[in-house]
Amino acid sequence: MGRTSSTKEDAGALFHSLRSAYAATPVNLKIIDLYVGFAIFTALIQVVYMAMVGSFPFNSFLSGVLSCVGTAVLAVCLRIQVNKENKEFKDLPPERAFADFVPCNLVLHLVIMNFLG
Amino acid sequence: MGKLWLICIASISILLPFLCNAFSPETPTDRRVLVLLDDFAIMSSHSLYFNALKSRGFDLEFKLADDPKIALQRYGQYLYDALILFCPSVERFGGSIDVAAIVNFVDSGHDLIVAADVNASDLIREVGTECGVDFDEDPSAMVIDHIGYAVSGTEGDHTLIASDDFIKSDVILGGKKIEAPILFRGIGHAVSPANSLVLKVLSASPSAYSANPKSKLSTPPPLTGSAISLVSIVQARNNARLLITGSLSMFSNRFFRSGVQKAGSQTKHEKSGNEQFLTEISKWIFHERGHLKAVNVKHHRVGETDEPALYRINDELEYAVEIYEWSGTSWEPYVANDVQLQFYMMSPYVLKTLSSDKKGLYSTSFKVPDVYGVFQFKVEHQKLGYTSLSLSKQIPVRPYRHNEYERFIPAAYPYYGAAFSMMAGFFIFSFAHLYSK
Repeated sequence: MGRTSSTKEDAGALFHSLRSAYAATPVNLKIIDLYVGFAIFTALIQVVYMAMVGSFPFNSFLSGVLSCVGTAVLAVCLRIQVNKENKEFKDLPPERAFADFVPCNLVLHLVIMNFLG
Repeated sequence: MGKLWLICIASISILLPFLCNAFSPETPTDRRVLVLLDDFAIMSSHSLYFNALKSRGFDLEFKLADDPKIALQRYGQYLYDALILFCPSVERFGGSIDVAAIVNFVDSGHDLIVAADVNASDLIREVGTECGVDFDEDPSAMVIDHIGYAVSGTEGDHTLIASDDFIKSDVILGGKKIEAPILFRGIGHAVSPANSLVLKVLSASPSAYSANPKSKLSTPPPLTGSAISLVSIVQARNNARLLITGSLSMFSNRFFRSGVQKAGSQTKHEKSGNEQFLTEISKWIFHERGHLKAVNVKHHRVGETDEPALYRINDELEYAVEIYEWSGTSWEPYVANDVQLQFYMMSPYVLKTLSSDKKGLYSTSFKVPDVYGVFQFKVEHQKLGYTSLSLSKQIPVRPYRHNEYERFIPAAYPYYGAAFSMMAGFFIFSFAHLYSK
């Protein structure tokens, strides 16, 4: 009895601490997180749709899912490079990170359009 | 000059094989027939049969079987279109004819009629074996039937039999039913059941057996019942036709004219069925009936007229072929409902029955299967009594080109939407990222 209530309290305490830590992140990182969440959510919708309908134009399915996943990956890379608390990229200007982000996305969308059928 | 000589030699050597055919493809009926006899008395005793052949336009050349000047071919060219062997007791052929020459004659597409008889020589038996039938090993054996014999005043040993066990084929025996039984007196032969090219046209009744009528039977006879074939035909794979029978007297005037009454039946026929039977079957042997040719194979996509070099998967295509039957004088349209087309690559992917327009044109249309590769249009038509048709035309089938696939598939709209929304999201995000505080 005491054990479960303590795990429940621990879960609650964990959740609160995570939430307050996250509230402390800068706004631009939160914008990137929102963007990543949007991409993953779209990917999940597509997977559920494919599970219902079947994989008939498989190339279109792959193209759609890959565009979402690729976008998410590139956004995560941008977040890593822009985050000021990240020691590894201390010397990299955030403008340079964004300047790498844009052409990568352009190439990704070019490939996606080609494979979409 | 040297070039001209070369062209002459080349053209002759190309034409030479065609000169060796039994018939030109335009008129398949044989014309020149060599008849080999034991002695010239057969010419008069079998004159009704020979006159029937002559009246249909055949050039018969009668020679003795051991005439030293007979030859089937000279300088590589065959002198005759067909051969009739009415020489059951010949020991050795004269001239350049022997069993191998006869086999080559048949192999090059020519027709053959062989009549053996009682005490047939080993040579004739060997010819029979090469043709696919086995005569009884006992040389003096005859077909005896104590139940199905022909009632006659003189011959009481039941070797003269009346048989009406015909093969059921209008092509081989003619459209008119043969009312009277056939008189037969001679040796029987057996046909191997594994051989699909030999057919028994006239079989003995179940009560017949093959034995020497003069000696007592010590062991059961090897050939009995309906397994005994009295008259057999062979249609070879090159469409040469052969007739083998064990009775020369079946062709004789005496049997043609005589009446026949089968023992045990009340009907006495005025005339035996021999003349009608043998005349009709000779028509079949000499390609006056049942000879087909298939011409003008055409295939094209539905809606077009010219023949493409290759098809694409899921194409709609039409196939047409014209099949004609030789009527003895001209090519008539062949009417049948069981000519089938296979679209074949290792196994038939499509099998369709061609529909006929009653004027000889057979056509069908179907959709190319969803498999690419090199296919064949195959028509294999083998019907009892008709020449076998074996047509094959190779055609490649290619997969879709990259711009022939379906586009804007409704089922894929969510994926299109997701990809475009990602692009829009990237655009909006980049503004938000650059211009946020």
